[in-house]
Amino acid sequence: MRQHLIELVLFSTYAELRAERARSYLGLIWWVLEPAMQMGAYWLVFGLILKTGGPDYLPMLLIGLTLWQWMKSCVTHGGYAVWMNLPLIRQVQLPPLVFPLVQMLADTIKFFYIFALLLVILWCVGYPPNMAYFALPLVFVAVFLVAAGAGFVVAAVVPLLPDLRFVIEQVLTVVMFLSGVVFSLKAVPSPMREVMELNPIAVLMEATRGILMRGEWPNWVGLTKVSIISVAVCLIGVAVVARLAPRYPKLAT
Amino acid sequence: MSDVLIELENVGIAFDAQRRVGGNRFWALEDVSVTLRRGERLGVIGRNGAGKSTLLRVIAGILTPDRGRVRRAPVSCQLLSLALGFTPHLSGRDNAILSGLMLGLRRRDIVARLSAIRDFCELGEFFEQPIASYSSGMVMRLAFSVAIQVEPDVLLIDEVLSVGDAEFQQKSGTALRQRMGEGHTVVLVSHQEQQISALCDRVLWIEHGKSVLEGARDTVFEAYHRDLHLSGAPA
Repeated sequence: MRQHLIELVLFSTYAELRAERARSYLGLIWWVLEPAMQMGAYWLVFGLILKTGGPDYLPMLLIGLTLWQWMKSCVTHGGYAVWMNLPLIRQVQLPPLVFPLVQMLADTIKFFYIFALLLVILWCVGYPPNMAYFALPLVFVAVFLVAAGAGFVVAAVVPLLPDLRFVIEQVLTVVMFLSGVVFSLKAVPSPMREVMELNPIAVLMEATRGILMRGEWPNWVGLTKVSIISVAVCLIGVAVVARLAPRYPKLAT
Repeated sequence: MSDVLIELENVGIAFDAQRRVGGNRFWALEDVSVTLRRGERLGVIGRNGAGKSTLLRVIAGILTPDRGRVRRAPVSCQLLSLALGFTPHLSGRDNAILSGLMLGLRRRDIVARLSAIRDFCELGEFFEQPIASYSSGMVMRLAFSVAIQVEPDVLLIDEVLSVGDAEFQQKSGTALRQRMGEGHTVVLVSHQEQQISALCDRVLWIEHGKSVLEGARDTVFEAYHRDLHLSGAPA
């Protein structure tokens, strides 16, 4: 049973990526072009017009948005997955977690493509590879767990309360600005800065930037705390989906 | 008693009538009891809205009862669903694998049956093309060819007995009747009494979400016809 579900999740992920590629004329190019356009917009406002970015603004922004795009996709795509698949859930007995998980894995694979490109750009503009890269997998696991946890909670509730979709985008925009994605928390005056640094996403952003830009090893204590929070969020998400699972086959999209 | 696969005892299923706070609930199934034994071919009859399809979804394990009890032996139960998980931009081959996985098959089993699926659906080179380029009849051919490969312990069929054009209808109908005749346990919901008469040995009659009578085919049909006649409804 378990092996069958793993096969189903992996093949569905492949199918999702293939279908996405086939849905547009430029296919895979959009994976890079879409975030690049978004980065361009922020660079124009904060870097060129407001000039609040600071000297390392461009690499900082690239790293922040690449990471954020991944997290946001997991929360929104994963979050709507159970709701979108209700017609399927009405016809076949499958654990509903399969659907958000497929979306999150597809988004993770897309992230790795974009991240590889990001590394090349960073190397070209003077941020060479360093030993601290070895800490990246740990940071990424924590990022995925936070995003997946939030995505599972959203996925669990949206089928029962589809109106939530109108709120989620706005909430995510606020979270993005509170997490130092498009500006450095170092630019925020004390004591607000200390408060914002309690945000696990901000900690993960800073850890990734430290590794890629300055070759710094992450703050292990901070990363451990974030990881514990991430696992807790993920478990809550899984538990909520499991708890509400019997109600989904009775719902309409 | 060891040959009892699934047993429903006074099962009820309620749906929310509207998606809003304090909305009403309605009971699609109110009180249904039925026992399914190994090798049995059970037909379910009843008028529109009697709860036949809901009952099948309870037996399949998709719906959990809001009241009553379901006891089931550790057996696989599958609703014969066509085009499950079909994605327009994927090829016929990829859709066959995806749909087979959703229907509970292991990937190696589907891959082993791909040539049989391809032969059965008679789509030729189209099998490798995205199904977005298919006509609806071609999609149903592929869908049926995949679904017929699934061999659960209990096969549940909701009206789907044949699909496609006249030629393929005959082919698919024959394949399904053959599958039902192989000693599998089957539950069939159909409006066509002839089909239930020809394919089932026992019949459950439900009305307004309640089981009225369960028993030997001829006994139940006799009572059902008497009731239709008395209520003036067309048979």
